[in-house]
Amino acid sequence: MRKGHLGIFVLFLYVLTTFVYAEPPEVRFFNWSDYLPEELLERFTAETGIRVRYSTYDSNEAMYAKIKLLQGKGYDLAMPSTYYVDKMRKEGLLHPLDKAKLPGFKNLDPRRLDQPFDPGNVYSIPYLWGTTGIAVNVHRIDPAKVQAWADLWRPEFRRGLLLPNDMREVFFVGLRTLGYSGNSTDPRHLREAYEKLRQLMPNVRLFNSDSPQMLYVTGEVDAGMIWNGNAYRAHQEDPNLRYVYPEEGCLLWMDNLVIPKGAEHLANAHKLIDFLLRPEIGKLIAEKLAYASPNAEAVKLIDPKLRNDPVIYPPDEWLRNGEYTIDVGAAITLYAEYWERLKAGE
Amino acid sequence: MRNLKLFKLGSIGLLPLWLGLFTLLPTLLVAVVSFLRRDETGLIALAPTFDNYARLLDPIYLKVFGHSLWMAGVATLLSLAAAYPFAYLLSRVRPAWRPVLLTLVVVPFWTNSLVRIYAIRSLLAAKGAMNDVLLALGLIHEPVRLLYTDTAVTLGLVYVLLPFMILPIYSSFEKLDQKLIEAASDLGADRLDTFWHVIVPLTAPGIAAGSLLVFLPALGMFYVTDVLGGARDLLIGNFLKDQFLDARDWPFGAAASLIIIALLFLLLELYVLSRRWLNPGERLDA
Repeated sequence: MRKGHLGIFVLFLYVLTTFVYAEPPEVRFFNWSDYLPEELLERFTAETGIRVRYSTYDSNEAMYAKIKLLQGKGYDLAMPSTYYVDKMRKEGLLHPLDKAKLPGFKNLDPRRLDQPFDPGNVYSIPYLWGTTGIAVNVHRIDPAKVQAWADLWRPEFRRGLLLPNDMREVFFVGLRTLGYSGNSTDPRHLREAYEKLRQLMPNVRLFNSDSPQMLYVTGEVDAGMIWNGNAYRAHQEDPNLRYVYPEEGCLLWMDNLVIPKGAEHLANAHKLIDFLLRPEIGKLIAEKLAYASPNAEAVKLIDPKLRNDPVIYPPDEWLRNGEYTIDVGAAITLYAEYWERLKAGE
Repeated sequence: MRNLKLFKLGSIGLLPLWLGLFTLLPTLLVAVVSFLRRDETGLIALAPTFDNYARLLDPIYLKVFGHSLWMAGVATLLSLAAAYPFAYLLSRVRPAWRPVLLTLVVVPFWTNSLVRIYAIRSLLAAKGAMNDVLLALGLIHEPVRLLYTDTAVTLGLVYVLLPFMILPIYSSFEKLDQKLIEAASDLGADRLDTFWHVIVPLTAPGIAAGSLLVFLPALGMFYVTDVLGGARDLLIGNFLKDQFLDARDWPFGAAASLIIIALLFLLLELYVLSRRWLNPGERLDA
């Protein structure tokens, strides 16, 4: 009698543990640092009972190396930029998304969907997007003189520019100034872009991607490249700082939610994506971080002061020549080699 | 009794185990990878090659290495120039004062060096303390741009690494026998002669040890050039970081790291040889 009870009890425990094991109430989220108000995660847990194990990174490369080495296991959600979505999907590191589990997908602005780095958004959901353009301090430089990337070569900028410490962004400028695609893999184009950028080096005071707006605000540099969200924040601190959409076309970037191939909590990952797609959540994120939301329903809720700022939400025609960075495959070694040559002053 | 034996075995065994697992094994892995090929999708391909080493001979990389060696060399010489008189004075002050002064040398180590480098950046910034002082004194009328120059990088390297120079030289000065200096002057040597022929040779082990301890880390401190040099200059450390992270060329990065390790061993070997040559009777382990 007792034995029988014990048997049933053990069986019950076994069923329970396998059930729990199949889908423990957690989701492992690997995100850029300072890229999500963490109280939102607490809200998600309070609502769904799913615990979020949150960890952060500060470069696409670091995120990619971890996911690659773990063969897509270990994380349920990550946030690559466009060219890494492209690379990871081509390498089979991503899990296709189940749109049926994402009712919030319809909130997204069609203009931000179906881009060359992930046609049809099979693997990725846009989270925030923005542009890289030119920042100029009108206190020191006449803004009329800075309308295009090519203006950065002007002699008055000698030792006065800030460029991001990112070879793809810097080569984008060289390539677009020459009229080529910012994603060119043609060795001839890259060679020319390198020659062009070499002439820019005397104007470059520093490369920095950590806190560029601070360097503009404290007067270390007169002009240079900047992300529009940083430019917006810098402008709040120093109204002399202006953001320019360059004539040749700005660089477009977007960070996207993806599910790595080996994710163990698929259902929870979809729940978290759908939570982030809610208009009121999208609004909180976009207002807190001052980058543009790809969520059309969320944008409607955003403070009009931010929503109507053309630095963050530019009219479509300003973006016409804009270009997303996509993966350049093996040509990356050529980029790296020219990048080192530039920095070594060859 | 048995416990003590176990404790001894454990504490002696732990170190080789630790070093084997976390130093030797990773280094061997780096060595293996340096002879393989880069692979776009899998990071490394199992195809043996010497290409990675051949590529390092490209003039551009030689230039990066040369520049790095030059910067590290300048930082070493400046540290030496600052540390030598300081260590001498330290060994001459009243014994009661020495622990206090030594502590002051070591105290900055309690703060992470990256944090201290950021502190230097805020001192040298256009709206930083240095410019504020210069402006207040009326020496300048516009803030001068001090950051993002070779000078700022050198200053940062010297600042971070100076204690590594001071401590070994101080220990040489402490051992310096005062009688030898008196003997030199009794035998008619003037102060300069005494310095060159008695004091310098006797403190040479400290100079050599200090120089090694400054020179080798200076080659790799990529964050100093990133923060104070505006990432315009490449040190070997920056180059390695770029290869592993941005270019994803692990084999090439691994080959370069092995060259650095080889350089390190070469310098250590020179150090040992120089000590034997300077002090034939001395045993290193004594």
